[in-house]
Parts: sequence; structure tokens; C-alpha cells
Amino acid sequence: MINIQNVSFHYKKKSPLFNDFSLEIESGRIVGLLGKNGAGKSTLLHLISGLIQPKSGKIKVNGFVPFDRNPNYLADIYMVPEEFAFPSISISTYVKAFSPLYPNFDHHKMYDIFNEFELQPTSNLNKLSHGQRKKFLIAFALSTNCKMLVFDEPTNGLDIPSKSQFRKILVSSVTEEQLVIISTHQVKDIDTVIDKVVVIENGSIIYQENIEEITQKLYFDLVPSLTGVENVLYHEQCPLGQKIIVPATGDNESSIDLELLFNAIINKTI
Amino acid sequence: MNSNKFFSVSRFYQLLRNDILLNYKKYLLTIAGAFILGFIFILMQMPDYMYNDTTFKYDSSSYRNLFSMCLVGLGAFVGSGFSELSSKIKTSNYLLMPASTFEKFLSQFAIRALAGSVIFLVIFWIDAHLARIAALRHMEYSNGQLAGPEKYSYIEKFHYSMLLIKNNYPIVKNWRLFEGIGVILIIFSSGMFLFSVKIFFRKLGLIKTGIALVAAIFLIVFLMVSVSYLFYPETKGFNVANIGYFLSNGYINEEIFLYSIAYLAPLFLLPLGYFKLKEKQL
Repeated sequence: MINIQNVSFHYKKKSPLFNDFSLEIESGRIVGLLGKNGAGKSTLLHLISGLIQPKSGKIKVNGFVPFDRNPNYLADIYMVPEEFAFPSISISTYVKAFSPLYPNFDHHKMYDIFNEFELQPTSNLNKLSHGQRKKFLIAFALSTNCKMLVFDEPTNGLDIPSKSQFRKILVSSVTEEQLVIISTHQVKDIDTVIDKVVVIENGSIIYQENIEEITQKLYFDLVPSLTGVENVLYHEQCPLGQKIIVPATGDNESSIDLELLFNAIINKTI
Repeated sequence: MNSNKFFSVSRFYQLLRNDILLNYKKYLLTIAGAFILGFIFILMQMPDYMYNDTTFKYDSSSYRNLFSMCLVGLGAFVGSGFSELSSKIKTSNYLLMPASTFEKFLSQFAIRALAGSVIFLVIFWIDAHLARIAALRHMEYSNGQLAGPEKYSYIEKFHYSMLLIKNNYPIVKNWRLFEGIGVILIIFSSGMFLFSVKIFFRKLGLIKTGIALVAAIFLIVFLMVSVSYLFYPETKGFNVANIGYFLSNGYINEEIFLYSIAYLAPLFLLPLGYFKLKEKQL
């Protein structure tokens, strides 16, 4: 569980990024953290993981203060960063070196994911492509069974089949005790896996809602034209006509178009 | 207080194992490189020709100078600790590794300072012996000199107790333990200063450390000059005014001052590095 209260943060010689920022997320969820470039997504992930310290306010994750970097906390959080570096060793040596540091590490699960991602344990990490190395890191992260998993742009560099594999593996491997935060620009890659959306802009939360609440409130549709359509909250032209968001009537639910929703939020029509 | 938060034997073992698994090739290459370069360096420092000067001997004072020069190599190895802090990406991985700051600090200290020093001492001892044999053989076979048993005394056999002898007299004499420990602590302080380089400076660590060292020395001298002006109003320019005198135990008061700094520096440098690592941010 994440509990952030009145947090302020700024980098040296820069204007405040977070000012009186608060957020609460319970475990058992896959949260999509969305926002434009420079909105503060990565900084928020760094604050949650304990890589940086807030200037004021309180952060508690699973009962720990992240910046204390208590080893028991660190053994229960795994972060897949957007950029990463590996030593020039094989996958199996990496696993041998790092897996004992995570008490709940599941080797069977990892080899199952390796099979899905077509990764060979004997491969040298530095000779793999960026996408393959990312797949390895995702496999390792999920196998740690940490209560808190943080993914920063996890689908960057993945090919189309790997993106759908990632979604499938993520949904099947995450348990009720875990909390997964996925920060991404590529909202379409995660729209079927997340169950909560948090959108931040200029260091503030401008939208946070559970998926079931969104589908109860909003209806996403594709219409040939806007003629005769009432109460349009947001619309975007597409080759087949207009993608629209209208208030849900309660009769039927639609699947969420996360990109459309994100654009609507950013344009402040929702 | 939960001590597991600071130190756990199994976690510490895993951390050491992790470091060795990731870096064993680098360490083996460093040891091999140090062995070969050390041998070449020591051999180059040894005489390859016997001059008519019968009083010349490659003895304890020569070995002591040689040892001091080789300590620079150990300093470079100690100064390469915390290599994970050299880039933002690696720093993030390192800080999030499930171990306490104390364990991370101790593991680097154990590998770089302790194991590094032990291996350095072994390599220096072997290289010194091998270089001596090689130098004597060269003199015997290439120059046709020193065929008899006297050759063995021309370059003395190295042993570590030599480092404690100066001009055929022990350095630590008359129970001047204070001085001996002071010298060891000066070496230790310098090592600790280098050990923490990466924690303080991500890039150009050794250069910045050099600048910091000069700045620290300047500050000490500046402090002494200021105090001189305070207590000795006749002080001129950037001079340090003092009255040197012998103490009843044979020490000069200035020696006590310098050795006190040597004693106290490690007390600050080690914890300073630890707390800096603890507070390290991305």
C-alpha cells in the first residue's frame, strides 16, 4: 500500500515539481500512471522506491519509509527502469547473483516466463537486443514476487508480440498482495491490464479513478459523425469517423479507450 | 531495535557473493595485471650492474621506497570501490539492492580495503623475491658479475620487517608506538579518503579528490596561520608561528600535533563515507 501525504519535492536549482502532493493506493491493483513528458511520473516512482527523498511530507509504502532503504523494504520492491545497464555476464549468472537477495524469488516462474519470451539462460546479457534485455528484466521482476513492482515505460523497445505477451504474463502472475505501478506514455499497451488510472500533470493528480468506475461513468464509442450525438464529452477524428466519450447511461458498458480518455483528461474535458 | 535492519550475516554473505560473481573476471585480471606490472616495476628499480662501490646495498631503505611507490597501486584499487556509483543507471540499481547501507559499505571495504591490502602484500612479497632473483641472475649471466655467494647480500632478501627499519635501526624504537601507529593511520586515512571517492564524486573522482585533499590541507594551514595571528601577533604573511620543544618522552610537540591529525582522520573519513552513502540520492 502506498500512502503519500503532502509531499513536496524539487530538484536542485529547479522549480518545485510536487507541492503538497498526496496519493493513496491499496495493494492488489495494477495502476497505470500516466502523464505528459516532464509531468513528474519518473520522479514519483523514484520517491516511492526511495531513490530520492521528499523535501517535506510523508511517504509510506507497505509500512516503510522508502528513503530509509530498510533492507526488508528493498527485498519487497523491484523497479524496472526505463534505461538499464547490465554487467557482461550470462542470464544464469545474473540470476545466481541477484535472486538470493529476494526471499520470495520463484525460479520456476522465471523459467516459464523465459520460455514465453524465448530467452536462453546461457545468453550474455550485453549481447542481447534492448528489447530482449527488457524482457529479461520484466521476467526477473515478476519472479521476485515483490509486494511492490514498479515499471517505468515497460513496453518501450518491445516488439508487438512481446507487448501482448507482457500483458498476458503480467495479468497471470500478479497476486492480490502485490501492487504494480506502470508508468508509460504508450497508454494503448496497458489499457487491458490496469485496474486504476492515475494521471498527473505539473506534479499534481488531475485524475484518478478505478477502471470499473470509469466504465460506469463514461461510454466510449466510434460514430461515423457527430451529427445527432448528444452530450459528447470528448471526440477525436479517426479514419472511420469520430471516437467519442459520452456519459454512460447505465444500460451497457464499453471497453475503455485509454488513449482517448487520457487526451480528454489532458484537454480538461473530463 | 531491529538489528537485522543494519546487518544480517546471510545478507552480507549474499552481497559478497553477488560482487564476486559479477566482478570475478575483473578481479582476476587486476591481480594478474598487478602481479606482472609489479614484477616489471620492481625489477626496473633494482640494480642490474654491480658498481665498484662496495658499500652499496639494495637494502631495507630501498625496499621501503619501493613499497611506498607500490602503495599508489593499492590506492588506485581502493579508490575504484563503489564502481556502481559511476552512472545514474547503475546507482539506481545499487541503491535498490536489498541490503542495508552498512552491509553495502562493509562489503566494499572488505573487498577493496581488506582483501585488496592482503593480496597487495602477497603480490609485493612474491614480486620482490622474483625480481631479486631475476636481477641477480641478470648480473651473473649477462654481466658476468657476482658469481660467488656475495651476490645474495648485494640485493637483500625482502621481508616485511625491513619496512620498520631505517638506517639499520628500527623505526619504532624506545616504545615510540605512537609514531608507528601514526604512520599506519596516515596510510589508512589516505586509503579511506580514496575509498570514498565515488560516493562523493560521480565523475573524475580521483581528480576531484586530489583537489579536495589540497583544499583540506590548505584549510588546515589556513587555520594554523589564523591561530598564529591570534596567539603570536608578530606573525608575518602566511607563516605558521610556533614554538617547537621536546617532551619528556622524546617527542617534539609538532610531531604530536601531526600524529593526532593522523589518528583522528580515519575516525571522520569512514563514517563520513558511510553517511554520505546512506543519504545518497539519484
